[in-house]
Amino acid sequence: MFVVSSLRAHIMHAKQLRSMDSLVVAGWRPRGLFAVIPSPKVATTPCLSYRMKQPKTLFLVVIALLPLVLVSCSLFGGAPVSGGWSGTAFHDGIIYVGTRDGRVVAINSSVVAINASTQELQWQWPDTATPRSLVYTTPIVHGDLVYVGTYSGQVYALTIARGIERWVYPRTGSIGAIVGTPVVANETIYISSSDGRVYALDTTYGDLKWKSEPLADKLWTSPVIHGDTLYVSTFDGHIYALSLETGERLAWSFESQAGFASSPVIYEDTIYVGSFDCHLYAIKIGSDVPMWKFPQEKPAGKWFWAAPIVNEGIVYAGCLDGRLYAIEAGTGEKLWEFDAGSPIISSPILMDNLLIIIGELGTLYVFDVDTEFEEEAVPLRAISIGASVKSSFCAQDGLVYVRGEDDSIYVADIERGEIVEGWPVSLTTEK
Amino acid sequence: MEAWNLIIGNPVLNVLIALSHGLGGSFGLAIIALTIIVRLVTWPLNKRQLNSTKALQEMQPKIQELQKKYGKNQQKLQQEMMKLYKEAGVNPLGCLWPMLVQFPIWIALYQAIMRALATTPENLLDLAQRLYSWGIVNQAIPLSSQFLGLDLGQTASANGGLGMLLAIIVGGTMWVQQKMTQAPAVDPRQESTSRMMTLMMPVMFGLLTFSFAAGLGLYWATSNIIGIITQYFITGGWGNLKFQSPFQRASAKGK
Repeated sequence: MFVVSSLRAHIMHAKQLRSMDSLVVAGWRPRGLFAVIPSPKVATTPCLSYRMKQPKTLFLVVIALLPLVLVSCSLFGGAPVSGGWSGTAFHDGIIYVGTRDGRVVAINSSVVAINASTQELQWQWPDTATPRSLVYTTPIVHGDLVYVGTYSGQVYALTIARGIERWVYPRTGSIGAIVGTPVVANETIYISSSDGRVYALDTTYGDLKWKSEPLADKLWTSPVIHGDTLYVSTFDGHIYALSLETGERLAWSFESQAGFASSPVIYEDTIYVGSFDCHLYAIKIGSDVPMWKFPQEKPAGKWFWAAPIVNEGIVYAGCLDGRLYAIEAGTGEKLWEFDAGSPIISSPILMDNLLIIIGELGTLYVFDVDTEFEEEAVPLRAISIGASVKSSFCAQDGLVYVRGEDDSIYVADIERGEIVEGWPVSLTTEK
Repeated sequence: MEAWNLIIGNPVLNVLIALSHGLGGSFGLAIIALTIIVRLVTWPLNKRQLNSTKALQEMQPKIQELQKKYGKNQQKLQQEMMKLYKEAGVNPLGCLWPMLVQFPIWIALYQAIMRALATTPENLLDLAQRLYSWGIVNQAIPLSSQFLGLDLGQTASANGGLGMLLAIIVGGTMWVQQKMTQAPAVDPRQESTSRMMTLMMPVMFGLLTFSFAAGLGLYWATSNIIGIITQYFITGGWGNLKFQSPFQRASAKGK
């Protein structure tokens, strides 16, 4: 700012100098960059392109440059473009997923597999009358409805058969951006919202059963249910326990110095959750101190962003430093690790005895959890998808369903180690 | 782009977040502190500019004399004026290089503010890739965007009355600073141009404050206030601020 006003002061003086010729005559010799720019007026004399007889023009150019620079940094050097990272849900032969342009689509996987060119969409929502919003949540299928939360702060229930809107909550307005995938239990859908509250809605009619008190500035993680209690982790470093029936805060909560980046996972009365301080925490429910944190000495390279999974006493946690860690659930001892080569944003999944992870650069790795590795694990399969992946994914009957950042659905055959013929299918073309 | 982030973008971002943690989690105070640090780092450049501006202001009566003396011979007038500049050690183009040096810092600050607040999920994920492994940095995440009732991640227009106040402060402080650094005009035509510029810049930045995140407006306001203070002490006063027009000052000195 000062620079601009100072420049202006100099230019006002420079107005009194009519041409660079007078500068040269007066003994001022162009130097540096000025010296190599030929003068359009006197081609044979190296001269300053900044013509002193046009100070006002120069000034206008400079001040016009300022907003241009700001706009440029916001467009090209600032934040990445938002598009949502809805994951895939598979139910009864249909894949449900949110798209980058704010639709929810249902794809009949068998039809696509037979004839890729048809790109058969069972349905897509919303229709032209309903405004679109980014979708970060993975659709949840329950009964004859599919539920989805939107970044504009509404929860929708759509029929699985035709994608017709059954209900929306709230009917008007917004509850704040929904980023974490909701959970469904006991005919109730539980949603964490960017207004810092958890909402419990009736799954059939979308009526509000309860909403919690504000728990944090915003809630972007998914809640988790354990017994008759709902647990939620917050960016400001708390884990709260809420009554599943009433939404009231229970006596126990846990507080950490650093915020929690991932959604919590519960296994045998212990909460496993990733933190912004580059550790994974194991917290016994009811305890004020963590059971352990991993790594025990030096923190990992990056955050544990994805929620871990636990299977038969082993925690599998993907880290944004690109490594998958297998950790003894009781002690926090590392069993093995694997370098996926790119940040692990999506949570790992289990299909029978197969552990599946995907790195951001789009390579899917499959491990046999029954194999005892030494320090470094060796995957059974490595399948390149060829697109960046940030979304959660699902697997069934030996097939893995993944949505890439190119807004295409990929289906990988674990046994054959390749993408199934007929896939990927782009979601960007509307029918 | 990677080189830019490695050399300037990410260091500024991490320092900003570390400052926020050190200042009790206040991102607003961190922006103010970083602005002061940037001012200190670029102080040699700023001082050079201030001295140059001061010298130009002080030379004005002599320039007027030259104009009276060589008014009809433009070439001679310009030669004499350049001699005058040379004798005073003033380069009329002296402020260009400092300006070019400070532009990247300015851009990096803007990017750091936007990235640190991570207002969307993608931004937060992107932030993870840019943070150093300093404990102080990671423990500060996520930052609170609230400061004195303002949401620093939202545009000033979205902040309602407080956002408008911020825009007025940015425009007002800039106008004061412009007036202080304004070179005295020697004729009414030049005065008219000068007045237009003095008004246009504050209005433009006031409008920009409305369009961009309030955090950037806070940076601009802080930067302006620091600029006013340093200008006051370096040039020894309010400059042209107390005159209605720079031409008045020139006329007053001429009497």
